[in-house]
Amino acid sequence: MWTIYKREMNAYFRSPVAYCIIGFFMVLVGLFFWVRNLVQGSVYFSDVLSSIVTYLTFFAPLITMRLLADEKKNGTEVLLRTAPMPMSRVVVGKYLAGLTLYLVMIGITFIYPIMLTFMIDGGIPAGRNFSGYVAFILLGACYLAVSLFVSSFTENQVVAAVAGVVVLLIFYFMQSIGSTVGGNFGAVLQWLSPLKRYSDFAMGGFNLASLFYYISFTAVGVFLTVMNVERKRWN
Amino acid sequence: MIEITNLTKRYGQIKALNDVSFHVKKGEILGFLGPNGAGKSTTMNILTGYIPYTEGSVKVGGYEIMEQPEAVKKQIGYLPELPPLYQDMTVQEYLNFICDLKSVPQKVRKAQLDDILYMVKIGDIRKRLIRNLSKGYKQRVGVAQALVGNPPILILDEPTVGLDPSQIIEIRKLISALRHDHTIILSTHILSEVTAVCSSVVMINHGKVAASGSVSDFSATEGSVRKFTIHIVGDKSSVQKVISQTPGVRKVDFIRVDKDASVFMVESGKDVDVRRPLFNELSRNSMAILELRPVGRTLEEIFIDIVNKDKNSADQ
Repeated sequence: MWTIYKREMNAYFRSPVAYCIIGFFMVLVGLFFWVRNLVQGSVYFSDVLSSIVTYLTFFAPLITMRLLADEKKNGTEVLLRTAPMPMSRVVVGKYLAGLTLYLVMIGITFIYPIMLTFMIDGGIPAGRNFSGYVAFILLGACYLAVSLFVSSFTENQVVAAVAGVVVLLIFYFMQSIGSTVGGNFGAVLQWLSPLKRYSDFAMGGFNLASLFYYISFTAVGVFLTVMNVERKRWN
Repeated sequence: MIEITNLTKRYGQIKALNDVSFHVKKGEILGFLGPNGAGKSTTMNILTGYIPYTEGSVKVGGYEIMEQPEAVKKQIGYLPELPPLYQDMTVQEYLNFICDLKSVPQKVRKAQLDDILYMVKIGDIRKRLIRNLSKGYKQRVGVAQALVGNPPILILDEPTVGLDPSQIIEIRKLISALRHDHTIILSTHILSEVTAVCSSVVMINHGKVAASGSVSDFSATEGSVRKFTIHIVGDKSSVQKVISQTPGVRKVDFIRVDKDASVFMVESGKDVDVRRPLFNELSRNSMAILELRPVGRTLEEIFIDIVNKDKNSADQ
């Protein structure tokens, strides 16, 4: 598993992919920091994160698009499938590499709340900023699992990215679809929506059920990816 | 070592492999022959656990591939048709990654990699990016990858495709050098390759085994020449008379006149080599032999016969 992880981390930082994604992300974060914290005067950096959540729909597929598709295109998939290592470890290794890149992106944004503590007398409220970060990380972990699963259907990176965005957009609108539909089905959709829980979480309402929800959501996504990759063995 | 029994692979309605059976003994180099699209790569992909089969059984070293895939994969080094290389790695990094993948213990890793680099002759390019290597070098890195972990079985899918003649010879030499401690399956559609390195042959066509046996079964070797053409200086009818009177000769046919020589086709009885008595007879009559060429059924002829026969029966 760590073999694959190491190789993927190398691949990210050896190609322009990681730098482009991080750079683009930092531009957005900087922009929203200026708008929300500097112009509007909010003391919560978590407000910036909440504004960026929309764009996560695009970032997650960008991160995962090459993880599986590249192997198929390169012909190196054979190598992994014929190696004495179960595909589940390969998939988990790749997922963790994607997650690490995401955490690196988020790690860089720590400079903003640190700047805020120096700018504002008495510092910033730690609780809500902290839970904002936790929520953002958990939501991202889910999104990465979903877009990794979507990308396991294709060998084309562009298709993987576009399909990932489409599926994540469905999740994005799930809450509003749910409230429009109404009834039991609507309630289920709302309950399933990862974003509804995000806003609760980010407002500082730490909630064990939501934590459990995010972790199982991610696990199911990765598990389905493994199943889809393994499917080839049984067809 | 490898037992393939009644192997069938279906892709929807199409049968890519139909009831294929063959065995490979330890230490054997098996040439796996067939025209493009015959099912060579499919068989190899199944054997290495890359794709599953539909029916039959594949046992490697006593393990059934569908039941204990990991145990089988550990024993096999595989070079697919397209070498599975990561373009963004250097040769050294790539081989280290393969060591990790095949869990080669750290202790033996360095010595093993040094051995492989030396054997495949890529020691001087170990620091270069794979992306920038020539095709021949990439192929060799592919072979090196298959050798990592020292698997007792090597499966090489068209290892010489796309190489220049001197590189082809190098790869063949390498395969011959590996024969001492490896069982090798080598797929190819180049027939001379089989004669050059293999000990036995399986030919497949349209997903079925068309012929199999040892290489010597297929080619005319020194001991078993039964039919040959011979160019002899001298008068046609008297030469023919001398040949036909030589003991052991069963049939003599005049073919043509070639400058001052006559060309005959000579056939002997089974298990008789008439070349020596024939030489003695002819020299006693001062008839000079300019050329003697055995007419064996070469692998090539057999192969083309099989392919054509199948085509004809399919047409009817």
